[in-house]
Parts: sequence; C-alpha cells; structure tokens
Amino acid sequence: MIDRTPTQRLRSAPTADWIRDVRARFPVERTIDEVLTRKLKGRGRPLEHRTDPGTLAQRLEHYLHAVTGQPDLEFTNLQRLTGGASKEQFTFDLRWRPDGSARVSRKLILRMDPGESIVETHRLRETQLLRAMAGVVPVPEVLWVDPTPEHLGHPFLIAEFLRGTVQPEGGDKASGLGMYFAPDLRAELKVQFVRHLASIHRFDWRTAALSAYDHPRTDHREATAWSLATWERVWHEDTLESHPLMDYAAAWLKAHMPAVETPVVVHGDYRSGNFMYTDDLRINAVLDWELAHLGDHHEDLAYTASDILGCPDENGTMLVCGLLPRDEFFARYHELSGLPVDPERLFYFEVLNYYKMAVIAVATSLRTAHGRRTHLDAMMNLLSGFGYIALSHLQRLLGDRSNLQ
Amino acid sequence: MGPEISQFLAGMKKTVEQVVLPNLHDRFAQEQAGIVAATLAFLEQVHDKVFHYELLEQHLYGRLLRQILELLSVPEVSDPEIVDTLAGIQRQLAEDPRGDIHLYSYDYLRASNESMKELLCALIRQQPALPDALRTTLEADLLQPFFRDLEQRERSWVKPLGFDAQAAQLPDIAELLYRDNRLQLPGDGPP
Repeated sequence: MIDRTPTQRLRSAPTADWIRDVRARFPVERTIDEVLTRKLKGRGRPLEHRTDPGTLAQRLEHYLHAVTGQPDLEFTNLQRLTGGASKEQFTFDLRWRPDGSARVSRKLILRMDPGESIVETHRLRETQLLRAMAGVVPVPEVLWVDPTPEHLGHPFLIAEFLRGTVQPEGGDKASGLGMYFAPDLRAELKVQFVRHLASIHRFDWRTAALSAYDHPRTDHREATAWSLATWERVWHEDTLESHPLMDYAAAWLKAHMPAVETPVVVHGDYRSGNFMYTDDLRINAVLDWELAHLGDHHEDLAYTASDILGCPDENGTMLVCGLLPRDEFFARYHELSGLPVDPERLFYFEVLNYYKMAVIAVATSLRTAHGRRTHLDAMMNLLSGFGYIALSHLQRLLGDRSNLQ
Repeated sequence: MGPEISQFLAGMKKTVEQVVLPNLHDRFAQEQAGIVAATLAFLEQVHDKVFHYELLEQHLYGRLLRQILELLSVPEVSDPEIVDTLAGIQRQLAEDPRGDIHLYSYDYLRASNESMKELLCALIRQQPALPDALRTTLEADLLQPFFRDLEQRERSWVKPLGFDAQAAQLPDIAELLYRDNRLQLPGDGPP
C-alpha cells in the first residue's frame, strides 16, 4: 500500500483536472509536455509492462516492410541487449536495399520506450539531435523513428549498431556510473572525451533541423527555467513520498537562476557509460542523447564533473568520469571550446544536476517499479540507492551555502 | 514464529547466486538475476529495522513541525497560504496519537509520516512569503539541522545497496537507530 494521502492517490491515478494543474504549474518545452502528459494519461491503466519477443518480432518485421516498401527484406536474429537503464534495446539483422539498389546486410538496434521509463523522453528529439550531430561528433546513424505507440505499441527509433567497448573489462557498474579506467585507457581517451564535449557545445544548432526543440532566447533565464520546470514537474508527478529537501532545493534553484548568454546543445548525460571506444582506443560513439536540450554549457560541465559520476585513481585523486582530474578537465575544455568556465555557474548547475539525479533515481525509478511499468523493475528499486546519494550531495551543497535568501 | 524473515531471504539469495545464476545463459536474464540477488542482500540488512525507522521519523517530523508552529504562530505571519498550512499542521499533530504511537500499524505510521512531510514541503514552498528574520531563523535553526540528520539517516539506510564510494566512512543504520539495543528517540541524547 503506497497511496495513503490524497496527493499520493492523484499521482497514481491522475484525474484530468490534476493533469491540467500540473501542466499549468510547470511550463516545459512542447515535446517534453507531450511525453509527460502521455505518461500521466496512461498511468491509470493497470497494465504491467511485458514484452513478448515473438509479438515484437512480428510487429517490427511488419513495420520494416511498410517503411521500406520492400516485401522481400530479410529480418532475423532479434536479441535483447543488456546494460541500459531507461529504454528496452534489441539488436537484429536486416538485409534490404537501403537506396533501392544493391542489397546490404546490417546489424541494427531498436531503442524502444517501456510502459514508463526512468526518464520519459521523446524519440523524435533524440533522432533529430543524433542526425544533427553526424559529422560533429561520432554518433550512430538513425534510420527510422516512430515517436508514437502506433506501430510497436511504444515509441522507438532504429539506428545502426556500432561495435565497441562501453565498460572496460571488470567495469561492472550499473549503467557505467563511476567507472574505473586503467591508466593506459585514460591517457588515450581523456582528450577525446573533452574534445567531443567541446564540439557539442560549439555546434551551431540554429542551422540544424531541430523542430522538436523549443528555442530559448539568448541572455535570458528561459532555457534553465524550462530545464528546472521539467525536473520539478517530474518530481511532483512521480515521487512516491514527499521529501522536504527537494522542495527546498527547487526554491533555491528558482531564486538563484542565472541567465544563459548563449544557449548551446546540452547533452544532458555526458559521462562514462555513455560513450563507446574501439580496440585502438578511439571514441567511436557518443550515446544516449535522450536528455539533450538547449541550455547553458555549465549544465553539462557540472554534471560530467560531479563526484558521484567520478572514480578515484590509484592514488585516491577523484577523476572526472574516471578519466582526468577536475582542474585538467576544465582547463582542457576551455582551451578546446573557447567557452568560459565560471565557478558560480558551475555551483548552480551542480545543484540542479543533483536535483535532477534525485528526481530520476528516487522519484521516477521507484514510480516505474511501483507500477511494474518497465522491463527492469528490480533494477529500478535498486537505483534508488544512487538517488539518495544524490540527495546527500544536494544537502551538503546547499547546507554549505545555507542561503535561500 | 518461524522461519525468521532473514532465513527466507538468505535462502533465496543463496539459491539465486548458486543455482539460478550459473545456469542462466541469457545475458539479460543473468544481469537481472544478479540484481535480484543484490536486492535480497539489501533486504537482509534492513528488513528488521523498517518499523523503527518509521517510528523515529514520526518523532522527528512531529518535533520539527511543533517547533515550526511555535516559531511562526506570531502576528507577523499573515500570508493566507502559510496561515492555512500552519492550521493544517496543527490539525495533523492533534490527530496523531503521541504517547502510544508505537502501538499503531506500520501502515498508519507511513501515512502519518507522509502527511507531515507533505505539510512541511508546502511550508518550504511558501517560505519566500515569510518575513526575512523568521525565514532566516526557520532555515538556520530548524531546517538545516533537520536536513543534516535526515541526510545521514538516508545515506546509511541505502549503504548496503553498494553505490556509495564513501560507504566505509558511514555508520551502519543500526548504529544510528539504536544504543544498547534500544531505539534512540529525540530527547534520548545522541546515539
């Protein structure tokens, strides 16, 4: 029994009035509102998330026939992937004529929403940004996308499957969080890691086809206000119990929000576990763009450099994502991007990022497991342990400052 | 009454680790079974402390809300929303049994605790409307010490889940809850 108060009952079985009030209270980007509202409208249905591989294979093959117009394509070897935390992922082999001429065989990846996800995101946003980033940083090619549940029962995208290493031998960390890299790996990967982040932030998004993103004004708080409103809304929609520190932190974040001079593409989850490298130690893919948005580059910097995502080296020095010391990370980033690294803004976005991590890993992870809405219910419960550490960091940051004024 | 829950959990964990996992050949199934084993290990550590954890929270939230009432029940506090929340706090505290709360069910405790948390959260959202001096006192004297205590308790609770790089420096939850095998409630002195 979880729903003991009227507010808890509304979260579990939202009424139309409650959904309308939540939407009005937290103004977010159009497409974010779309997926969050769809989640709430579906929450009342008492359905466990189940994926039957046979049915999925049939529906996927039917979709591929329709989208390619090729009844003679060969679809085989649908296999579930391990390692993710938010989307159901499968690989499969496809033999078809991509441009209508010669037949080719490719291994592809299906990335599909579960009933409710630890992060509710929009497949069209992810697709548009992956396509925009082609040639800027290494990303997988997206072949098809359906941001609706029409074809497979859940939104999805299909992309090329890239071979490479996400977790080094013995990494063994949930979703790659806080992973250790041996010195020889660090030496080769760290500069690439920073350079790709700089390239993402230097990308001129105004020239790209990003219709699924609302475009924030320059020299304005709008971009960060959308970001905060998104996480605040998700907290109030998903949490199973109230937590006073979360309301305190949200109040602090509103009171101290800086303007964003020049909005950039913010990856939103740039860390170890979200890039892949080849045997010759070349980063061949930056992955998991689902949390990307337009905002302040300090949001990514603070996130990537947060202690909770770091790993100490052999001498106990904390390394950013297990790769390089914090000072070196910021110095190299500034050199490669030309963008300023402002300690005050880093602090602000450190608070925002820990708030976001707590929303994801305390509220949404437990909500999805409570509703049995994912393929990873046991993992979602376990991940709350990560969320409470994020809450602890949040408390220490705000406790040190001690200023809601 | 037997077997004890710890025995059930230990038996399931051993079966998953030694029988199920080695015989699974699907990587996704292996990953999930490993998570189930880790969850059982966590439950072994905390299952017998859940009621006392909630009982302690009942006392701590109750004490904080009484202190807030005492601080803010003054003429300078006139914002209608805050006045309304303070009235809600008063009603909640009047409804809850105090002396024999330990005799109530776990479900009752959870419900009461959540009601108190919701009221505290509402007040925190409304606090920008408080006069500056009261707001500063509320934050420095009441909220910050409460948050420090809460952080330590929650972090010790999730310590066995294995995410915490500083786990070695953290007390076990039992060390925080008990002294001489007795739950340490507010006023009993530091555990």
